[in-house]
Amino acid sequence: MPQDIRRYLKLLPGNYLATRCAVAGGPAYCVPLTAHYPATFYVVVASNFSDMTVALAVPDVIVARAQAGDEAALEALYRAFETPVYNLVRRILRRPEDAEDVLQETFLEVVRNLKQYRGEGHLWGWIRRIATTKALMRIRRDQVRETESLDDEPGKPGMHVGANIDLERAFDRLSETSRAVVWLHDVEGYTHEEIAEQMGKTVSFSKSQLARAHARLRGMLDEGAQA
Amino acid sequence: MMHCTMEDLGALRAGEASVWARRHVTTCAACQAELEVLYQRVAQLKALPALHPPRDRWPAIHAALRAVRSRRRRTWGTWTGSLALAATIAAVLLVQPPGGEQGKLHAELSQAKQQSATLEDSLQQYDIDGRVLSGHAAALVAELEDRISILDGTLAQREQSVRDAELVKLWQERVGLMRELVNARATRARYVGL
Repeated sequence: MPQDIRRYLKLLPGNYLATRCAVAGGPAYCVPLTAHYPATFYVVVASNFSDMTVALAVPDVIVARAQAGDEAALEALYRAFETPVYNLVRRILRRPEDAEDVLQETFLEVVRNLKQYRGEGHLWGWIRRIATTKALMRIRRDQVRETESLDDEPGKPGMHVGANIDLERAFDRLSETSRAVVWLHDVEGYTHEEIAEQMGKTVSFSKSQLARAHARLRGMLDEGAQA
Repeated sequence: MMHCTMEDLGALRAGEASVWARRHVTTCAACQAELEVLYQRVAQLKALPALHPPRDRWPAIHAALRAVRSRRRRTWGTWTGSLALAATIAAVLLVQPPGGEQGKLHAELSQAKQQSATLEDSLQQYDIDGRVLSGHAAALVAELEDRISILDGTLAQREQSVRDAELVKLWQERVGLMRELVNARATRARYVGL
Protein backbone atom coordinates (compact mmCIF):
# COMPACT_ATOMS: atom_id res chain seq x y z
CA MET A 1 0.00 0.00 0.00
CA PRO A 2 1.43 3.43 -0.89
CA GLN A 3 2.94 5.49 1.87
CA ASP A 4 0.37 8.29 1.68
CA ILE A 5 -2.45 5.86 2.25
CA ARG A 6 -0.67 4.30 5.19
CA ARG A 7 -0.22 7.76 6.64
CA TYR A 8 -3.92 8.46 6.42
CA LEU A 9 -4.81 5.10 7.83
CA LYS A 10 -2.90 6.17 10.90
CA LEU A 11 -5.47 8.92 11.36
CA LEU A 12 -8.04 6.31 12.19
CA PRO A 13 -8.89 5.07 15.63
CA GLY A 14 -8.03 1.42 16.08
CA ASN A 15 -6.67 -0.90 13.45
CA TYR A 16 -9.14 -0.93 10.61
CA LEU A 17 -8.55 -2.59 7.29
CA ALA A 18 -9.35 -0.64 4.17
CA THR A 19 -11.80 -2.25 1.82
CA ARG A 20 -12.67 -1.32 -1.71
CA CYS A 21 -16.13 0.14 -2.02
CA ALA A 22 -18.18 2.31 -4.30
CA VAL A 23 -18.52 6.01 -3.62
CA ALA A 24 -19.51 8.95 -5.78
CA GLY A 25 -16.79 9.46 -8.33
CA GLY A 26 -15.71 5.85 -8.60
CA PRO A 27 -14.23 3.07 -6.50
CA ALA A 28 -12.49 4.00 -3.33
CA TYR A 29 -10.69 2.47 -0.42
CA CYS A 30 -12.82 2.98 2.64
CA VAL A 31 -12.52 2.19 6.27
CA PRO A 32 -15.29 1.97 8.85
CA LEU A 33 -14.62 4.87 11.10
CA THR A 34 -16.30 4.43 14.44
CA ALA A 35 -17.92 1.77 16.52
CA HIS A 36 -21.09 3.87 16.55
CA TYR A 37 -21.70 3.45 12.86
CA PRO A 38 -19.73 0.38 11.81
CA ALA A 39 -21.63 -0.29 8.61
CA THR A 40 -22.23 3.19 7.26
CA PHE A 41 -19.52 5.50 8.44
CA TYR A 42 -16.38 5.34 6.36
CA VAL A 43 -13.30 7.27 5.58
CA VAL A 44 -12.25 7.25 1.96
CA VAL A 45 -8.57 6.54 2.02
CA ALA A 46 -7.86 6.69 -1.66
CA SER A 47 -10.11 6.93 -4.65
CA ASN A 48 -7.35 6.83 -7.17
CA PHE A 49 -3.85 5.53 -6.63
CA SER A 50 -2.44 7.62 -9.43
CA ASP A 51 -3.36 10.99 -7.99
CA MET A 52 -3.61 9.82 -4.38
CA THR A 53 -6.87 11.57 -3.69
CA VAL A 54 -7.46 11.45 0.00
CA ALA A 55 -10.65 12.56 1.63
CA LEU A 56 -12.78 11.91 4.63
CA ALA A 57 -16.21 10.69 3.67
CA VAL A 58 -19.19 11.03 5.93
CA PRO A 59 -22.52 9.54 4.90
CA ASP A 60 -25.29 12.04 4.40
CA VAL A 61 -27.39 10.34 7.03
CA ILE A 62 -24.80 11.12 9.69
CA VAL A 63 -24.64 14.75 8.64
CA ALA A 64 -28.42 14.94 8.64
CA ARG A 65 -28.61 13.46 12.12
CA ALA A 66 -25.95 15.86 13.33
CA GLN A 67 -27.82 18.77 11.78
CA ALA A 68 -30.89 17.66 13.70
CA GLY A 69 -28.88 17.80 16.90
CA ASP A 70 -28.32 14.06 17.41
CA GLU A 71 -25.49 13.98 19.94
CA ALA A 72 -24.18 10.59 18.85
CA ALA A 73 -23.89 11.85 15.28
CA LEU A 74 -22.20 15.05 16.45
CA GLU A 75 -19.67 13.01 18.36
CA ALA A 76 -19.16 10.80 15.33
CA LEU A 77 -18.38 13.88 13.27
CA TYR A 78 -15.96 15.04 15.92
CA ARG A 79 -14.24 11.64 16.02
CA ALA A 80 -13.98 11.67 12.25
CA PHE A 81 -12.34 15.05 12.00
CA GLU A 82 -10.55 15.69 15.29
CA THR A 83 -7.17 14.43 14.09
CA PRO A 84 -7.23 16.06 10.64
CA VAL A 85 -8.28 19.36 12.21
CA TYR A 86 -5.75 19.15 15.00
CA ASN A 87 -2.98 18.14 12.62
CA LEU A 88 -3.79 21.09 10.34
CA VAL A 89 -3.92 23.73 13.05
CA ARG A 90 -0.98 22.27 14.97
CA ARG A 91 1.17 22.47 11.86
CA ILE A 92 0.22 26.12 11.53
CA LEU A 93 0.38 27.15 15.18
CA ARG A 94 3.55 26.91 17.18
CA ARG A 95 2.02 26.11 20.57
CA PRO A 96 0.13 22.84 21.13
CA GLU A 97 -2.27 24.47 23.58
CA ASP A 98 -3.27 27.00 20.93
CA ALA A 99 -3.93 24.16 18.51
CA GLU A 100 -6.11 22.42 21.10
CA ASP A 101 -8.10 25.59 21.67
CA VAL A 102 -8.60 26.06 17.94
CA LEU A 103 -9.69 22.43 17.63
CA GLN A 104 -12.36 23.05 20.24
CA GLU A 105 -13.42 26.41 18.80
CA THR A 106 -13.62 24.87 15.35
CA PHE A 107 -16.01 22.13 16.41
CA LEU A 108 -18.17 24.49 18.42
CA GLU A 109 -18.53 26.60 15.29
CA VAL A 110 -19.10 23.52 13.14
CA VAL A 111 -21.97 22.48 15.40
CA ARG A 112 -23.39 26.01 15.55
CA ASN A 113 -23.37 26.37 11.77
CA LEU A 114 -23.91 22.80 10.65
CA LYS A 115 -27.43 23.59 9.47
CA GLN A 116 -25.95 26.04 6.99
CA TYR A 117 -23.92 23.26 5.38
CA ARG A 118 -25.96 22.28 2.32
CA GLY A 119 -23.81 19.42 1.14
CA GLU A 120 -22.22 21.56 -1.55
CA GLY A 121 -18.61 20.57 -1.63
CA HIS A 122 -16.93 18.16 0.70
CA LEU A 123 -17.69 18.37 4.40
CA TRP A 124 -13.99 18.17 5.19
CA GLY A 125 -13.37 21.17 2.94
CA TRP A 126 -16.00 23.13 4.86
CA ILE A 127 -14.61 22.13 8.25
CA ARG A 128 -11.04 22.71 7.11
CA ARG A 129 -11.91 26.23 6.06
CA ILE A 130 -13.35 26.99 9.50
CA ALA A 131 -10.29 25.52 11.19
CA THR A 132 -7.90 27.44 8.94
CA THR A 133 -9.75 30.69 9.51
CA LYS A 134 -9.62 30.23 13.26
CA ALA A 135 -5.92 29.35 13.22
CA LEU A 136 -5.12 32.39 11.09
CA MET A 137 -7.25 34.58 13.36
CA ARG A 138 -5.21 33.38 16.29
CA ILE A 139 -1.99 34.25 14.50
CA ARG A 140 -3.29 37.75 13.80
CA ARG A 141 -4.46 38.13 17.39
CA ASP A 142 -1.11 37.06 18.76
CA GLN A 143 1.10 38.89 16.30
CA VAL A 144 3.35 39.74 19.19
CA ARG A 145 4.41 36.09 19.24
CA GLU A 146 5.17 36.21 15.58
CA THR A 147 8.93 35.98 15.56
CA GLU A 148 11.26 34.02 13.42
CA SER A 149 14.18 33.74 15.77
CA LEU A 150 16.04 30.49 15.45
CA ASP A 151 17.32 30.51 18.99
CA ASP A 152 14.18 30.98 21.01
CA GLU A 153 12.41 27.68 20.56
CA PRO A 154 10.07 27.37 23.53
CA GLY A 155 11.25 24.91 26.12
CA LYS A 156 14.63 24.35 24.54
CA PRO A 157 16.81 27.25 25.59
CA GLY A 158 20.21 27.46 24.05
CA MET A 159 19.74 24.53 21.68
CA HIS A 160 21.90 24.87 18.62
CA VAL A 161 20.06 24.95 15.37
CA GLY A 162 22.40 23.04 13.16
CA ALA A 163 22.90 19.70 14.82
CA ASN A 164 20.83 16.82 13.45
CA ILE A 165 18.02 19.05 12.38
CA ASP A 166 15.35 17.34 10.32
CA LEU A 167 12.58 18.75 8.21
CA GLU A 168 9.97 18.63 10.95
CA ARG A 169 12.12 20.54 13.40
CA ALA A 170 13.16 23.02 10.73
CA PHE A 171 9.50 23.55 9.87
CA ASP A 172 8.69 24.10 13.52
CA ARG A 173 11.19 26.95 13.57
CA LEU A 174 9.45 28.93 10.88
CA SER A 175 7.19 31.79 11.85
CA GLU A 176 3.51 30.90 12.18
CA THR A 177 2.68 32.91 9.07
CA SER A 178 5.29 31.03 7.06
CA ARG A 179 4.12 27.72 8.47
CA ALA A 180 0.57 28.55 7.50
CA VAL A 181 1.49 29.44 3.93
CA VAL A 182 3.74 26.41 3.43
CA TRP A 183 1.31 23.95 4.95
CA LEU A 184 -1.78 25.30 3.23
CA HIS A 185 -0.08 25.52 -0.16
CA ASP A 186 2.21 22.52 -0.23
CA VAL A 187 0.29 20.01 1.85
CA GLU A 188 -3.36 21.04 1.83
CA GLY A 189 -3.27 22.13 -1.78
CA TYR A 190 -4.59 25.67 -1.36
CA THR A 191 -3.86 28.08 -4.19
CA HIS A 192 -2.09 31.36 -3.50
CA GLU A 193 -5.35 33.12 -4.25
CA GLU A 194 -7.16 31.10 -1.58
CA ILE A 195 -4.40 31.67 0.95
CA ALA A 196 -4.37 35.38 0.22
CA GLU A 197 -8.12 35.58 0.70
CA GLN A 198 -8.08 33.70 3.99
CA MET A 199 -5.13 35.69 5.33
CA GLY A 200 -6.42 39.01 4.14
CA LYS A 201 -3.21 39.55 2.19
CA THR A 202 -2.19 39.74 -1.45
CA VAL A 203 -1.29 36.87 -3.75
CA SER A 204 2.22 38.33 -3.97
CA PHE A 205 2.49 38.14 -0.19
CA SER A 206 1.57 34.46 -0.24
CA LYS A 207 4.06 33.69 -3.00
CA SER A 208 6.90 35.59 -1.39
CA GLN A 209 6.19 34.01 2.01
CA LEU A 210 6.31 30.57 0.44
CA ALA A 211 9.59 31.30 -1.32
CA ARG A 212 11.13 32.79 1.82
CA ALA A 213 10.01 29.86 3.91
CA HIS A 214 11.51 27.34 1.51
CA ALA A 215 14.72 29.31 1.40
CA ARG A 216 14.87 29.19 5.19
CA LEU A 217 14.08 25.49 5.28
CA ARG A 218 16.80 24.88 2.71
CA GLY A 219 19.28 26.89 4.76
CA MET A 220 18.45 25.16 8.02
CA LEU A 221 18.61 21.70 6.49
CA ASP A 222 21.93 22.49 4.80
CA GLU A 223 23.31 23.80 8.04
CA GLY A 224 22.12 20.68 9.82
CA ALA A 225 23.68 18.42 7.23
CA GLN A 226 27.02 20.17 7.53
CA ALA A 227 27.07 20.13 11.33
CA MET B 1 25.99 32.86 -14.21
CA MET B 2 22.55 33.81 -12.94
CA HIS B 3 20.53 31.05 -11.27
CA CYS B 4 16.89 30.57 -10.43
CA THR B 5 15.64 32.14 -7.23
CA MET B 6 13.36 30.28 -4.87
CA GLU B 7 10.49 32.26 -6.39
CA ASP B 8 11.51 30.97 -9.82
CA LEU B 9 11.67 27.41 -8.53
CA GLY B 10 8.25 27.75 -6.93
CA ALA B 11 6.88 29.13 -10.16
CA LEU B 12 8.46 26.25 -12.09
CA ARG B 13 6.78 23.81 -9.73
CA ALA B 14 3.45 25.55 -10.29
CA GLY B 15 3.93 25.73 -14.05
CA GLU B 16 3.92 29.51 -13.94
CA ALA B 17 7.60 30.25 -14.49
CA SER B 18 8.97 32.87 -16.83
CA VAL B 19 10.34 31.92 -20.23
CA TRP B 20 13.85 32.61 -18.97
CA ALA B 21 13.45 30.31 -15.93
CA ARG B 22 11.98 27.50 -18.02
CA ARG B 23 14.86 27.72 -20.48
CA HIS B 24 17.50 28.11 -17.81
CA VAL B 25 16.48 25.08 -15.81
CA THR B 26 16.86 22.84 -18.85
CA THR B 27 20.52 23.75 -19.17
CA CYS B 28 21.62 24.39 -15.58
CA ALA B 29 22.40 21.27 -13.55
CA ALA B 30 22.54 23.24 -10.29
CA CYS B 31 19.03 24.64 -10.73
CA GLN B 32 17.71 21.25 -11.82
CA ALA B 33 19.11 19.78 -8.62
CA GLU B 34 17.64 22.62 -6.59
CA LEU B 35 14.23 22.07 -8.15
CA GLU B 36 14.45 18.36 -7.36
CA VAL B 37 15.32 19.17 -3.75
CA LEU B 38 12.25 21.39 -3.59
CA TYR B 39 10.04 18.59 -4.91
CA GLN B 40 11.51 16.20 -2.38
CA ARG B 41 11.03 18.64 0.46
CA VAL B 42 7.36 19.12 -0.39
CA ALA B 43 6.90 15.34 -0.61
CA GLN B 44 8.55 14.97 2.78
CA LEU B 45 6.24 17.62 4.25
CA LYS B 46 3.23 15.72 2.95
CA ALA B 47 4.59 12.54 4.48
CA LEU B 48 5.06 13.97 7.97
CA PRO B 49 3.15 11.88 10.50
CA ALA B 50 -0.27 13.09 11.59
CA LEU B 51 -0.30 14.87 14.93
CA HIS B 52 -3.02 13.73 17.30
CA PRO B 53 -4.68 15.91 19.92
CA PRO B 54 -3.08 15.14 23.28
CA ARG B 55 -6.42 15.21 25.09
CA ASP B 56 -9.95 14.26 24.23
CA ARG B 57 -11.77 17.54 23.73
CA TRP B 58 -15.19 16.04 23.07
CA PRO B 59 -16.35 16.13 26.73
CA ALA B 60 -15.71 19.88 26.89
CA ILE B 61 -17.38 20.49 23.54
CA HIS B 62 -20.32 18.31 24.52
CA ALA B 63 -20.74 20.14 27.82
CA ALA B 64 -20.57 23.51 26.09
CA LEU B 65 -23.22 22.42 23.59
CA ARG B 66 -25.49 21.21 26.37
CA ALA B 67 -25.05 24.50 28.17
CA VAL B 68 -26.04 26.44 25.06
CA ARG B 69 -29.12 24.30 24.52
CA SER B 70 -30.12 24.56 28.12
CA ARG B 71 -29.76 28.34 28.00
CA ARG B 72 -31.96 28.51 24.93
CA ARG B 73 -34.63 26.46 26.66
CA ARG B 74 -34.32 28.63 29.72
CA THR B 75 -34.58 31.83 27.70
CA TRP B 76 -37.74 30.53 26.06
CA GLY B 77 -39.10 29.44 29.41
CA THR B 78 -38.32 32.83 30.89
CA TRP B 79 -40.13 34.60 28.09
CA THR B 80 -43.22 32.47 28.29
CA GLY B 81 -43.10 32.50 32.07
CA SER B 82 -42.73 36.26 32.22
CA LEU B 83 -45.60 36.88 29.84
CA ALA B 84 -47.93 34.56 31.70
CA LEU B 85 -46.81 36.01 35.03
CA ALA B 86 -47.50 39.53 33.84
CA ALA B 87 -51.00 38.47 32.85
CA THR B 88 -51.58 36.87 36.25
CA ILE B 89 -50.37 39.92 38.15
CA ALA B 90 -52.56 42.16 36.04
CA ALA B 91 -55.57 39.95 36.76
CA VAL B 92 -54.83 39.90 40.50
CA LEU B 93 -54.43 43.66 40.59
CA LEU B 94 -57.77 44.12 38.89
CA VAL B 95 -59.53 41.84 41.33
CA GLN B 96 -57.73 42.75 44.51
CA PRO B 97 -55.79 45.98 44.98
CA PRO B 98 -52.49 45.53 46.84
CA GLY B 99 -52.50 46.21 50.52
CA GLY B 100 -51.60 44.57 53.85
CA GLU B 101 -50.22 41.01 53.58
CA GLN B 102 -51.05 40.87 49.91
CA GLY B 103 -49.13 44.10 49.29
CA LYS B 104 -46.11 42.70 51.09
CA LEU B 105 -46.15 39.57 48.94
CA HIS B 106 -46.38 41.68 45.83
CA ALA B 107 -43.41 43.73 46.97
CA GLU B 108 -41.38 40.56 47.60
CA LEU B 109 -42.39 39.14 44.25
CA SER B 110 -41.40 42.34 42.52
CA GLN B 111 -38.06 42.37 44.35
CA ALA B 112 -37.30 38.75 43.43
CA LYS B 113 -38.09 39.41 39.79
CA GLN B 114 -35.92 42.49 39.81
CA GLN B 115 -33.02 40.55 41.33
CA SER B 116 -33.49 37.80 38.78
CA ALA B 117 -33.39 40.31 35.92
CA THR B 118 -30.27 41.95 37.35
CA LEU B 119 -28.54 38.58 37.57
CA GLU B 120 -29.56 37.80 33.98
CA ASP B 121 -27.89 41.06 32.94
CA SER B 122 -24.76 40.15 34.90
CA LEU B 123 -24.64 36.81 33.14
CA GLN B 124 -24.74 38.50 29.76
CA GLN B 125 -21.64 40.47 30.64
CA TYR B 126 -19.59 37.27 30.72
CA ASP B 127 -19.96 36.85 26.96
CA ILE B 128 -20.98 33.23 27.29
CA ASP B 129 -20.99 32.51 23.58
CA GLY B 130 -17.45 33.77 23.19
CA ARG B 131 -16.06 31.53 25.88
CA VAL B 132 -15.35 27.89 26.35
CA LEU B 133 -15.43 26.29 29.74
CA SER B 134 -13.59 23.25 30.97
CA GLY B 135 -15.67 20.09 30.88
CA HIS B 136 -16.15 20.07 34.64
CA ALA B 137 -17.18 23.72 34.81
CA ALA B 138 -19.47 23.39 31.83
CA ALA B 139 -21.15 20.39 33.44
CA LEU B 140 -21.79 22.40 36.60
CA VAL B 141 -23.15 25.32 34.60
CA ALA B 142 -25.30 23.01 32.51
CA GLU B 143 -26.77 21.47 35.66
CA LEU B 144 -27.63 24.89 37.07
CA GLU B 145 -29.14 25.98 33.79
CA ASP B 146 -31.19 22.81 33.65
CA ARG B 147 -32.51 23.43 37.12
CA ILE B 148 -33.41 27.01 36.23
CA SER B 149 -35.06 25.78 33.07
CA ILE B 150 -37.17 23.30 35.04
CA LEU B 151 -38.09 26.02 37.50
CA ASP B 152 -39.13 28.30 34.65
CA GLY B 153 -41.28 25.51 33.31
CA THR B 154 -42.94 25.19 36.70
CA LEU B 155 -43.53 28.92 36.86
CA ALA B 156 -45.03 28.91 33.38
CA GLN B 157 -47.38 26.03 34.16
CA ARG B 158 -48.48 26.82 37.68
CA GLU B 159 -48.52 30.56 37.96
CA GLN B 160 -52.23 30.70 37.10
CA SER B 161 -53.21 28.53 40.02
CA VAL B 162 -50.44 28.99 42.52
CA ARG B 163 -50.88 31.24 45.56
CA ASP B 164 -48.83 34.42 45.79
CA ALA B 165 -46.75 33.12 48.68
CA GLU B 166 -45.71 30.08 46.65
CA LEU B 167 -45.02 32.23 43.63
CA VAL B 168 -42.68 34.39 45.68
CA LYS B 169 -40.93 31.27 46.93
CA LEU B 170 -40.43 29.97 43.40
CA TRP B 171 -39.04 33.29 42.21
CA GLN B 172 -36.72 33.49 45.19
CA GLU B 173 -35.50 30.00 44.41
CA ARG B 174 -34.84 31.16 40.88
CA VAL B 175 -32.81 34.09 42.19
CA GLY B 176 -30.72 31.67 44.26
CA LEU B 177 -29.99 29.46 41.28
CA MET B 178 -29.20 32.46 39.09
CA ARG B 179 -26.78 33.69 41.71
CA GLU B 180 -25.03 30.30 41.73
CA LEU B 181 -24.90 30.36 37.95
CA VAL B 182 -23.36 33.83 37.85
CA ASN B 183 -20.79 32.75 40.44
CA ALA B 184 -19.95 29.63 38.48
CA ARG B 185 -19.48 31.66 35.32
CA ALA B 186 -17.43 34.31 37.06
CA THR B 187 -15.11 31.96 38.93
CA ARG B 188 -14.61 29.66 35.95
CA ALA B 189 -13.86 32.57 33.63
CA ARG B 190 -10.24 32.48 34.68
CA TYR B 191 -9.89 28.99 33.29
CA VAL B 192 -11.51 29.73 29.98
CA GLY B 193 -9.39 28.85 26.99
CA LEU B 194 -7.08 26.44 28.72
